[in-house]
Amino acid sequence: MHIRMVTRIGLTLLAVILAACGVPSASQPAPSAAPPAPTVAAPQATPALNIDDWASVEAAARGQTVNWYLWGGSDSINRFVDEFYGTALKERYDITLNRVPVADTVDAVNQVLSEKEAGRDPGAVDLIWINGENFLSLKQADMLLPDWSRRIPNARLVNWDNPAVNLDFGEPVEGYESPWSSAQFQLIYDSARMGEDELPRSYAELLAWATANPGRFTYIAPGPGAFQGTRFIKGALFELSGGAEQWLPFEQALWDEHSPALWAYLNELKPYLWREGETYPKDENELHGLFANGEVDFSITQAIAGAGPLITEGLAPETARAFVFDDFMIGDFNYVAIPKNAPNKAAARVLANLLLEPELQAAQILPENGFGLGYAIDVTRVTDEDQRTALAEAQTQLGAAATPAADLAASLVGDSAGEYQTLVEEGWRQRVLIGAEQ
Amino acid sequence: MTRFGEPIRRWFALAPALFVTGLLFGTSLVYGLGQSFGFLPLIGETSLRLDAYADVLGGSAGREFWPALGFSLWVSGASTFLAAGGALLVAVALSDRRTPARGAEMFALNANLALPHMVWAVALLLLLAQSGLVARIAAALGLISGPSEFPVLVRDRYGLGIILHYVGKEIPFLALIVLAVLRTQGRAYDQVAATLGAGWWQRRLRVTLPLVLPGLAAGALLVFAYVFSAYEVPALLGVRYPRALAVLALDYFLNPDLGRRAEGMAISVVMTLVVVGVAGTARALERKA
Repeated sequence: MHIRMVTRIGLTLLAVILAACGVPSASQPAPSAAPPAPTVAAPQATPALNIDDWASVEAAARGQTVNWYLWGGSDSINRFVDEFYGTALKERYDITLNRVPVADTVDAVNQVLSEKEAGRDPGAVDLIWINGENFLSLKQADMLLPDWSRRIPNARLVNWDNPAVNLDFGEPVEGYESPWSSAQFQLIYDSARMGEDELPRSYAELLAWATANPGRFTYIAPGPGAFQGTRFIKGALFELSGGAEQWLPFEQALWDEHSPALWAYLNELKPYLWREGETYPKDENELHGLFANGEVDFSITQAIAGAGPLITEGLAPETARAFVFDDFMIGDFNYVAIPKNAPNKAAARVLANLLLEPELQAAQILPENGFGLGYAIDVTRVTDEDQRTALAEAQTQLGAAATPAADLAASLVGDSAGEYQTLVEEGWRQRVLIGAEQ
Repeated sequence: MTRFGEPIRRWFALAPALFVTGLLFGTSLVYGLGQSFGFLPLIGETSLRLDAYADVLGGSAGREFWPALGFSLWVSGASTFLAAGGALLVAVALSDRRTPARGAEMFALNANLALPHMVWAVALLLLLAQSGLVARIAAALGLISGPSEFPVLVRDRYGLGIILHYVGKEIPFLALIVLAVLRTQGRAYDQVAATLGAGWWQRRLRVTLPLVLPGLAAGALLVFAYVFSAYEVPALLGVRYPRALAVLALDYFLNPDLGRRAEGMAISVVMTLVVVGVAGTARALERKA
C-alpha cells in the first residue's frame, strides 16, 4: 500500500518534470493561429556551403522548407505571397514555403531573441520581413546572418550606392538584409468628399486647412512600431528647416537649432486635430478606420499603389485617392533578413533572391495583386528587354487610386540619420503629446 | 505512522504543484528582477545596476511613470469602488425577494464570467466610439449631426471607458461572491432583527453589510489587483497619454533599443510590489473574516 503510493507520487513528479521541460518549447511557437511545425534541416548536411557558387546553394536548398515570418495583417498580401512566391519556389527550386504570419514584426524579433537566450540553434525562423527598428534590434543582438545580401545573384539589380538602400532608417545595411520592395509616404483623401484642388500641398497649407476644418485631421502617434507617424513629423522638420539632405548625417547642433520650430508647428496644429490632439491613432489601421468612418478626412499610406490595396481590402471607400505634398515625402526600402540560427539558410537565400526577380518585382507593384509596394531593384540595371518593358508597363497600371508617378518622384526625399528617430519620437511625446512647452 | 510522517507526506503530496509553480513563476520572477537590474546578456550586459529604477522613479522615464502610476491607481480604484457598490446593490436586490435568485438571473451573472475581457472591450469600442453603433443611431435619429458631437466615452483622457469596462465586468463577479455569503448565512439574523423591530434600511446597514463586508472587501481587493496590472483593456480603450502602467511597461520592453527592457522590467517589479501588497491585505482581511 505504502510503496504503491510512493510510486504513484514518484510517477506524478516525473510527469510534472517532463511537462515542465516541455514548457519552454510550448511557449515558443510563432504567435499565429496555427503555428506550423518548423522543419529543421538535418544537422548541416553540407558543411561548407559556398555562397558564391550559386548552383551549390540552390542544390543545398532543394527539398528544404523555408519558414518566412512576416506581418500577416493583410489578407491580400498573404494571398500574394502564397500565390506568387510559394508557387515559384516549389516549381523552380523544390522549396516549400511556410509563411508564418505574425501580428507585428517585433514578435518574430522576440522569437529569435528568446531562441538566443535559450541557446537554441537551429531555431525556427529562416527569413523575416523586416526594417527599421526591428532590424536595429536584431543587429544589436548580433543575431543576423552577416555578409550575404550583396552576394546573391540578383543583388546586381539593386542600386547599393543609393543611401535609401544601403541605410535602413539610417542604420547601415552592411550585407545583413536584402531589399524586397520600396514605399513612400503619402496621404489619402476621399474624392467624393473633396476636390483635388482643395488638397493641401505642403505642411504650411496643411496647417491652414486644419485651422479651417477643425477636428478633421490627425496623424499616427510617432513611436516604435508606428514609423508612419514619425515620418509625418520628419517631413514637417524637413519643410521647416528648408531641406532634407542636411539631415542625412547626424548633427546635434542642427537638431537643437530646428527642433523648437518643429514643436511649435505641431503644437499650433494640435488644437485643430481630431479630438483636439488629446489622443492620436496608434497605427495605420486605426487611422484607416477613422478615415473610412468619416471621422477624419485624410489617411496615410506607404503603398506605391496608393489607396488601391485598401480599396481591394474594403478598408477605404472606392473613391479614396492617394496624393502627396509638393516636397518632403519620405521614401525608403524594406528588406528580408536571415537569423544567424536559421535552420534552412540556403532556402532563405534562394527566396531572398527570388524576391528580386524582375517579373515578380513587376507583379508586386500592381494593385490587383494585393501587395502594391514599389520596386526594390533599379529598373535600369535589368538587361532583358522584355523584363524592362514589363517593369515600365506595370508602373503605368497603378490605377486612379495611386499617386501619379511624376508626383511621387518630384516629392521623394530620403529618410534622415537613424539617431533622429528617437529624438523625434521622444521629443514628440514630451513636447507635443504630454505638452510641456520649453 | 509517526507524528513526523504526516507533515512530510503532506509536503511530498504538494511537491508537484509547488515544483511547477516555483519553476514557472519563480524563474520568470528571478529573470524579470535580473533584467530590471540591467542583467541583459542578450546585449552583453551582465553587471547588476540600479540605473533602470533611478530612471523610472526620478529620471527621464519618471515623467511618464508617475502619471501612469496615478492613472493606474485612479482607474483601478474607481473601478473597484463602483463595482463593489454595484455588486452590493445587485446582490441585496436579488436576495431580498421572497424567492431566491432563479436560473435566468444566475445565468446572466455567470455567463459574464465566461466572456473574455478582450471581447467586452472590443464590444464597448464598437458601441461607444465616436463612430460607434450608438453614435450612428443617435445621428440617424438626428440627436447629433456628426461623430465629433458624440461624447468621448472610450479612448478618453480620464480612463472612463476602461472604468466602464471593468465596472460592467466585475459587478457580476463580486455580486456572486456577496450572494454566496448571503446564502450561507441564511435569513436568521435578518429575521431576528426584523422581529426586534429593525426597519429595512437598518437591517441592511446593521445586519447585511457587516455580514458580507469581509468577503466583499477581499473580492474587491482582488479586483483592484487585477485591474491595476491588466494590459489589454487599457491598451484597447486608453489614450496615448497618460497610459496605464502595464501598457507603459510593455512599451519599454518592446522598444527596439534592447537596453530599455530594464526600465520595462523595473516598472513591472513596482507593479508586482503593489499587487503583492494588495494581495497581502486581502488575505489578512479574509483571515479576520
